Amino acid sequence: MLNEAHHVPSVGSDKVCSLAEAIGLVRDGDMVALAGMATQSAPMAVVREFIRQGRRQLGLVCLVGGIGVDWLAAAGVIDRVVCCAVSMEQFGTCRQFARAAESGRVRVQELSEWALLARLAAAAQALPYLPIRGLVGTDLIAADSDNLRVLDDPFGGPPVVACRRLIPDVAVLHAHRADRAGNVQCEPGARWADASVMPKAARRVLVTVEEIVDSAVLRRHPDRTVLPGFLVDAVVEVPHGAHPTSLPDRYDYDTRLHREWVAAARHNTSSSAFLDRYLHTPPDEQSYLVAAGLGTRNKEQAGQDG
Amino acid sequence: MGDHPWQDNAPAEDYTVDELMVTVLASWFDNSDEVVNGMASAMPVCAFALARLTHAPQLTWVAAGIGLDPREFHLPRSTLEAPLWQDAVAYLDHYRDFWHLVQGERHFRKFCVGAAQVDRYGNANNSILGDDVHAPRRRLPGTAGLGDMGSLGKQLYFWQPRHSPRTLVERVDFISCAGYLRGGDERERLGLAGGPQCMVTNLAVLDFEPVTRRMRLLSVHPGVGVEQVQNATGFELALPDNGVTRTPAPTREQVRLLRDVIDPEGLRRYGFDHA
Repeated sequence: MLNEAHHVPSVGSDKVCSLAEAIGLVRDGDMVALAGMATQSAPMAVVREFIRQGRRQLGLVCLVGGIGVDWLAAAGVIDRVVCCAVSMEQFGTCRQFARAAESGRVRVQELSEWALLARLAAAAQALPYLPIRGLVGTDLIAADSDNLRVLDDPFGGPPVVACRRLIPDVAVLHAHRADRAGNVQCEPGARWADASVMPKAARRVLVTVEEIVDSAVLRRHPDRTVLPGFLVDAVVEVPHGAHPTSLPDRYDYDTRLHREWVAAARHNTSSSAFLDRYLHTPPDEQSYLVAAGLGTRNKEQAGQDG
Repeated sequence: MGDHPWQDNAPAEDYTVDELMVTVLASWFDNSDEVVNGMASAMPVCAFALARLTHAPQLTWVAAGIGLDPREFHLPRSTLEAPLWQDAVAYLDHYRDFWHLVQGERHFRKFCVGAAQVDRYGNANNSILGDDVHAPRRRLPGTAGLGDMGSLGKQLYFWQPRHSPRTLVERVDFISCAGYLRGGDERERLGLAGGPQCMVTNLAVLDFEPVTRRMRLLSVHPGVGVEQVQNATGFELALPDNGVTRTPAPTREQVRLLRDVIDPEGLRRYGFDHA
């Protein structure tokens, strides 16, 4: 599968490239696994670059999607989503995503968390499927019969559900820091399941980080390195790359921008105006941050408004 | 742990229904339990914190399946956010620790479920409204962990801030979380242990009849009548042999802890019509 179109924009073990170059790892039509929770650690800079580049027909894999999934649905970038939930929690529902699902513009394959993790873990382990005990009795099995089957336990126990492997074309995540070889480090704290499994399941791995550092910095705390560089194809330095979602220990979610989007997303005209202002007009991440008010507000303030 | 003489355990007169619901939910967890909160779960988080500050100081809480035993937490707008476990005693790896431990019946035996629809037999729907999964009338947030928890032998405790014929329905449009399915012993026949136990709504407390597994009205909240609850329910509720009781009001101390310590911003009110 890693053929002619798989052009890693790096020399030797140097994986550092620009955001635009890194997006070259993704072709229209690809299945893209996005790490991150509803309001947290989402690779939003990559989401924005997809929209700026006018990408089309991407599929998404995410455990709990948030504002990024809503933006991609509103901008017409995605046509299918494999997920457990899509929500902005107390900021509100992802209305543009919901509308796209209701109209059939985006096809949703919903799975329980452990079922989606089993599909990715099967890919990571080069297995055709992995069995789980969850989902038994739910309508989720019949709704995704291409990928879920009830199996008798060959050892005589109750039936289990076989979850077919899911190989994303590209896994994308945002983290605190990496070195030029793509060794990725996070501050101590939450180690979410998607960030553990997606990079091992996917054909290619794209990581954005708050800062590129010398390997010597990583060597001080090798226990904080969450992803070995040999798994990573491209690494990009993007400060505030998870904004407006949070990055633990660095910045909180941006309450103001979430609220502005939830209000705008009610109608297609105001939603388009929001996309124009924040995503289509600013040509790069720096201009986005200025448009979002981070040029004048510091990172601590960004999460505390309202 | 008994009542402390310095706590004001007199029934509160000044309280709201969200506070009443948190105290009911808290009463279902004790020192021997291990609990975890999922996403969009301000109400269970408040209940766990309240239980730990009152009758169940040893209740084991793993915030978001990540942070063990947080004490000085700050309740954020997402219950998957780091302020919830800022002083945790340990971080569980979400994949290798939490999701492995939760598969069996030894740990995390109780789970709180919030869903858009719950039916007569405790099946829950957070996926779609309508009958076509690929062209739903309404797309809901999604099953998240519920699709697992309903089938893993957990005891399920529901909360529903808007008791109405649209939220308590004869039959859910889509089963995202397995309850007693079509009632009776269907759940057992599929090899599933556990199942729905109780539900607290803004009007009442309900449970499930032992044999038929039909939802049953246990108590009505102060100021609410049995007929009012029945009219707000999309199916006929079973009634207990000993009659329907009245839900006790929260104590003054419980209300104080909720307002001053646990949730000063009132995030527990999310999803209520009066919020």
